[in-house]
Amino acid sequence: MSDEGIVVARVEDVPDGEAIRIDAAVTGTVDAIAVFNDGGDFFALDDTCSHEKASLADGWIEDGVVECPLHAGKFCLKDGAVLSMPATRDVACHQVIIDGADIRIVPNPDRLQ
Amino acid sequence: MTITQLPSTHEGGRPSPPSGNLCRPVGFAEAIDVAGLVDSANGLIDRAVFTDRRLYDQEQARVFATSWLFLGHVDQLQKAGDFFTTFMGEDPVIVTKDKAGAIRAFLNSCRHRGARVLRADYGATRAFTCTYHGWSYDLEGKLISVPNETGYPQDSWDRAAWGLLEVAQLDTVLGLVFATWNPKAPPLLEQLGDMKWYMDAFLDRDSEGTTIVGGITKWVLKGNWKLAAEQFATDWYHVNMSHASALMVLSPTGRGPKADIINTPGRQYSDVRGNGAGFPTHPRSRFDAQPVHRYYDYEQLRSRLGDARVEGPMTTGHATVFPNFSYLPVNGSVRVWHPKGPDEMEVWAWTVLDKSMPEDVRNAQRLYNLRTFGPSGIFEQDDGENWSEIQAISHGWRTNTVPLNYQMGIGSERDDGLYPGSTSDLYSDAAGRRFYARWAELMNEPAWHEVGE
Repeated sequence: MSDEGIVVARVEDVPDGEAIRIDAAVTGTVDAIAVFNDGGDFFALDDTCSHEKASLADGWIEDGVVECPLHAGKFCLKDGAVLSMPATRDVACHQVIIDGADIRIVPNPDRLQ
Repeated sequence: MTITQLPSTHEGGRPSPPSGNLCRPVGFAEAIDVAGLVDSANGLIDRAVFTDRRLYDQEQARVFATSWLFLGHVDQLQKAGDFFTTFMGEDPVIVTKDKAGAIRAFLNSCRHRGARVLRADYGATRAFTCTYHGWSYDLEGKLISVPNETGYPQDSWDRAAWGLLEVAQLDTVLGLVFATWNPKAPPLLEQLGDMKWYMDAFLDRDSEGTTIVGGITKWVLKGNWKLAAEQFATDWYHVNMSHASALMVLSPTGRGPKADIINTPGRQYSDVRGNGAGFPTHPRSRFDAQPVHRYYDYEQLRSRLGDARVEGPMTTGHATVFPNFSYLPVNGSVRVWHPKGPDEMEVWAWTVLDKSMPEDVRNAQRLYNLRTFGPSGIFEQDDGENWSEIQAISHGWRTNTVPLNYQMGIGSERDDGLYPGSTSDLYSDAAGRRFYARWAELMNEPAWHEVGE
């Protein structure tokens, strides 16, 4: 058991290759957080694409990368680094802890409200 | 099957695109009176209907823009975000399933500079994004993202006015999806009328409905689209001549089917809305592919469809739903003839199967269709050769000005009390005459978009 971070979902809520969007009110952050499952590995990034207003939780997830559903900008799931135009700025990443069946998020302190 | 009507736009809610001071000048697209080019009463057609560029453009605006057009099969869309692309006339369209599960069809052209917002034949997506500047539209066609949106005049910019253009009406019948740009088009079932009775013989054999073999076969053919649409409406006449070698190859003796099969009588349905279907009639009408023949319980089919359908349009035959959707029941082939200029068409063909068919029967039917129709089909190649041959010579002045003969069976149309609507003998140009009569009627009538609200 861990008491670090905030329980945002259960593991079963995020099937492989998909993502869910956690409202900013839950995590107290300035942006919603997208939680991704890429082949059983879980990651969390700011949900809003750094290029235009789009939800990365709706994006396409493959090989450690999320592609924005609107303009195909790509971000590294591990650290939020921008990997593809037309996006030019990184998105913030957050720590994920898998605690049994729970997914916990430790929000990036820079992104707290 | 239940028919669901899914009007994509609601009465009064149809947005008209902002047009500012744009207004096409009077006479910009002057209509040609085609009354002198189609003489359906006397069975004569002027060959200009197959070759003239002005008529072709008028056809886009008055035939394709007003009619119900075939888009695809419902099984091509399973989940929200599934899509396929096709054409309505020359207009590229996206057909998709929205988040509420409704089938929607949009013009596949960005409202900004006009590029297609979807380039794939089929797939799944969450949004339609133009690859030119990045305007993005959601599954409901709404414009949801415009890069550098603040660059538009903030006092007048209305993003909601710039969504994808949607068809006026969309409906499904027997698993087939049809749509029209025409808000005033009568309901699809009204356009079909008695034609639906004949379609049932092919598409309602199975209480579970139909499905398709994955993938659509597409090929380009020289020839005006009407040559193909007309033949599938009205032409059994060519079969024994054009397809002689194919019929011989498929027969057990190698010399062709037995005389009583070759010379079987039949009926040809036609209606004033331009639809047509012809079929031989035989008390022991059978499916050609042996595993398919063995699969069916003909007595059960008789109780489901009635004797007249089982002995006629259920198996061998041809049909066109005006203007450019055609099918062949025994082959399980459905196709659309996409116009690509007066001299060229693209044929898109599907193989339709009964949903209840087990895998081996599906496979037999797929192979039977593959061998007979589609680009590798021995019958299809005969047909394509004829149409391309006609088109290739038809621009010659002397050639073009000699009328063609559509006189077979004039006056033979009647209500025979057995087959619904008006039918003639199997060998007849009746459906052809009505196909062109309907074409001429639409060509001479200002379309809904010309007369305003």
